Amino acid sequence: MHSAVRSTAGIVAIGLVVFGLWTGEDVSDARWLVLLGAAWVLLLIATRVPLPTSMPSFNRTLVRTALVLATVFAIVSAQLVRIQVVQSEATASRTGLGADGEMVANPRLGNRDLAVQRGRIFDRSGEAIADTERGDDVWLRTYPDPATGYVAGYYSPLLYGTSGLEASYDEELTGQEGNNPIIRARNDVLNRPQQGLDLHLTLDSELQRTAHQLLDGRNGSMVVTDVKTGAVLVFASNPIYDPEALFTSNPGENAEASEYWKSLNAAPDSPLVPRANLGRYTPGSTFKTVSAAIAIDQGFAAPEDVYEDDGDIEIEGRVLVENNRPDDSRTEWTLAEGLAWSLNVVFAQIGLEIGATLMWEYGERFGFGADIPFDLPVASSQVAGSRGFLDSLNAVADTGFGQGQVLTSPLHMAMLTATYCNDGKMMQPYLVERVATQEGDTVRTTEPMVWREPIKPETASDVEAMMVNAVQNGSVEAAQTPGYVVGGKTGTAETGGAEPHSWFIGFIGDPEPRYAIAVVLEEGGTGLSATVGIGRDLLVAAMETESSG
Amino acid sequence: MIGARYRPTWRLTEFQLLIPPGLLAIVGLLTIFLVPKGLVAWTWGDIWVSLAFAGLALGISVSFGIRGFRGDQVLLPLAATLAVIGLLMIQRLHPDLARIDDGYSMLAQRQLLYLGAGTAIMWLIVMFAGPMHLISILRRYKYTWLLLSLGLQAATYFFGTEINGARLWIQVGPVQIQPSEIVKVTLAVFLAGYLAEKRELIGASWRVGPLSLPPLPYLVPMGVMWAACLLTLVALNDLGSALLFFGIFLTMLYVASGRAFYIFAGLVSFAAACWLAYLAFARILIRVQNWIDPWQDPNDSGYQPIQSDFALASGGVIGTGFGQGRPTFIPEVQTDFIFSAIGEELGLLGSLAVLALFFLIVMRGFAIALRAQDDFVRLLAVGLAATIGIQTIIIVGGVTRLIPLTGITVPFISYGGSSLLTNFAIVGLLLHMSSLPRRI
Repeated sequence: MHSAVRSTAGIVAIGLVVFGLWTGEDVSDARWLVLLGAAWVLLLIATRVPLPTSMPSFNRTLVRTALVLATVFAIVSAQLVRIQVVQSEATASRTGLGADGEMVANPRLGNRDLAVQRGRIFDRSGEAIADTERGDDVWLRTYPDPATGYVAGYYSPLLYGTSGLEASYDEELTGQEGNNPIIRARNDVLNRPQQGLDLHLTLDSELQRTAHQLLDGRNGSMVVTDVKTGAVLVFASNPIYDPEALFTSNPGENAEASEYWKSLNAAPDSPLVPRANLGRYTPGSTFKTVSAAIAIDQGFAAPEDVYEDDGDIEIEGRVLVENNRPDDSRTEWTLAEGLAWSLNVVFAQIGLEIGATLMWEYGERFGFGADIPFDLPVASSQVAGSRGFLDSLNAVADTGFGQGQVLTSPLHMAMLTATYCNDGKMMQPYLVERVATQEGDTVRTTEPMVWREPIKPETASDVEAMMVNAVQNGSVEAAQTPGYVVGGKTGTAETGGAEPHSWFIGFIGDPEPRYAIAVVLEEGGTGLSATVGIGRDLLVAAMETESSG
Repeated sequence: MIGARYRPTWRLTEFQLLIPPGLLAIVGLLTIFLVPKGLVAWTWGDIWVSLAFAGLALGISVSFGIRGFRGDQVLLPLAATLAVIGLLMIQRLHPDLARIDDGYSMLAQRQLLYLGAGTAIMWLIVMFAGPMHLISILRRYKYTWLLLSLGLQAATYFFGTEINGARLWIQVGPVQIQPSEIVKVTLAVFLAGYLAEKRELIGASWRVGPLSLPPLPYLVPMGVMWAACLLTLVALNDLGSALLFFGIFLTMLYVASGRAFYIFAGLVSFAAACWLAYLAFARILIRVQNWIDPWQDPNDSGYQPIQSDFALASGGVIGTGFGQGRPTFIPEVQTDFIFSAIGEELGLLGSLAVLALFFLIVMRGFAIALRAQDDFVRLLAVGLAATIGIQTIIIVGGVTRLIPLTGITVPFISYGGSSLLTNFAIVGLLLHMSSLPRRI
């Protein structure tokens, strides 16, 4: 065969193999096999070197046979390169469904994870909320207290992956991120498991347990943050689940865990969804603090401005009836009194004053519709499903007192409350205060950061004062606590059908505000005083923990 | 002159080349001990297996030297290196496998026993083949070897035990033997004898008028071979052996006749027959499905190839390291799928190295054939060397899903007596043939 033909065939064969290596999905999809077959034929041509005619015929055929075998070995090597190098990630992580619907995946991936001494997760006093324990040849994950464990999320390497902090801090917990790169590279080369990094949280386990006692099995959420820093001390959601029951270290335990998983998924109240960050509720009257803040910030209104409320208001033909007036004979109320008694007619007028444009714009400034930066994913809040909704006067009036299409998460409400107490600065919330090695050396510390400044400091102190007034002279009197300054606002979220959710947002100080809270009780009815009561108790507990510690 | 051939000699090259596998046996085992938190439970008692192997290999080399054996000095180290990789892998697998099933305890010790028996056969061939004129015997009784081959395959059909749908084994008292491993040797011997005798005739053309036809009468035994291979596939459901036998047959036919046409015709007709078998038999269809897309049934028929893919892919370039992978997820990892375990724990570097060692053995066998004086010896050397090469390609191609998977062992590496014994017998024959008078 001519040498030019042979060289061309050889080059094309190599080209085909190289092209084929990087395309396709499976180890042996048909296209790759065809490419490889074509490459092999070309290699046969390429290796058909001219042999001297003086060579005995037996030797010639033997050399030819050797060359053919060499090409086959080359093709087998190409296949090995494909499986072991080029397509190794895709091949090793491929999953599928068996005939019985069970998931089939590479069992090594879970075992590789189990070989890692995963980082622990501690609360702010050093109590472990997620711990590791040495098993036979793997590390086991334990969650000592169900009241805090679910905040960490679940870690289920053989079955369901990760959630919560276990998911968002997986790289740190497995030591892939944050460790000394030299040590990490050494461990990679020697195939030693990485040592994970510990997370030290701002969470206070004691307060978290108190929160769950106060929730007393009712579905809902309680979030407490430090108003100055955004640190989250309580991150309670009910119902809870036990993440330890989803952790398995060998396939023998999978059946039980999978039963539990199925029951969690079948439960109508979705225990796997933590309310505090992923719950989306209508804020009801607690949103009036936002309307008041917008109006004051824009100079439309001041706390002492007087609004008329004689029991109803007609907007574009719809009559809105007021049920909240403490004195039906009074028709004139200040803005502060409107907030204190939660007068819907007053805030309908505020909403109309603000109008659609400003309502939407301030909503964005307060973080509605934005991705809230946090250690966990946060459900997106909204002022309305779309900007267009606010174009109707009734819609903007309803939005003014927190109905309409407003939706928000407990975490976001706690952030808003803290903003009023923090000179209008909205802090970035955080749970993870410190990432450290298992020996305790700090790798990274979270510095408190201002996320947004939606309103002026003066506006913020006006709203703060109005919330204190609502507790001292208004409908939130259940929050009154001797010895502390408490501000608050309640809300009832009409859910259209079932019993409404009840809200309480508030803060406590001595006298300077220290902690902000958001409480929501699902279908809590109009038992607002109960909601306020548990919120106040938790705030007091936070203050007392602080003074005793 | 004859006395001179038995004068002791220094087999220095061989001895030196045997030091790496000897050290590998010990260092490989120590590697597993010294890696902290390894997944495999080891005891120091395992090391005597490695020591025994190293001693065995070096002892054989020395005894060859004392005997004055002047044959090839590279084959034995190559085979020993492959055998030690297999032995280490089985030593590494057996604690894990024993945890799954008590039947797997003493796996490494048994493998060492087989290795001892295999090397003993090799040693006996090298020591006594000359005085007993083994080559002449092999040549003279060629049809006996053919009958033996056919008889063994027939016996497998009638008396064999069926495992996973394929008949590969015969139970003889307490021992299970795999007849196809023996047949591959007897078949090569028959073909070498037949082709050496009829070489001129087969290479020539048979003229019928204007047509130039192959010499049909002399191809009748070839037709029998072709049919026997197909029967192996259809009756025994043993695609691996069928491919192996047919590969040996075609290779030797081509080398003897120099006619590529035979290869072409043979391949096309065999492929056509396989296609018909594929259409006719459901079990072959499943085999093809497991090759192209095992994910259609990942928990049952596709389980093994998928686990093998996972193992190879998890190995990457440098592998997880001895004792650090999880190859025991693959059923039958110690025999047919041992290559995947090597790929997982030693990575691409290890799997390519093993392939390269096999290629070197084949080339060494071909070199012996090139230097041989006699047609029978040349063809036998080619056939035996090709056996090792083709078997490697079939099983490695199978576990990497290049071709449909077949139940066939990796020479020298897989766990199993029949395989080790026959492959070391092949090495013995090649060594003996390398010591025969050479062509100038």
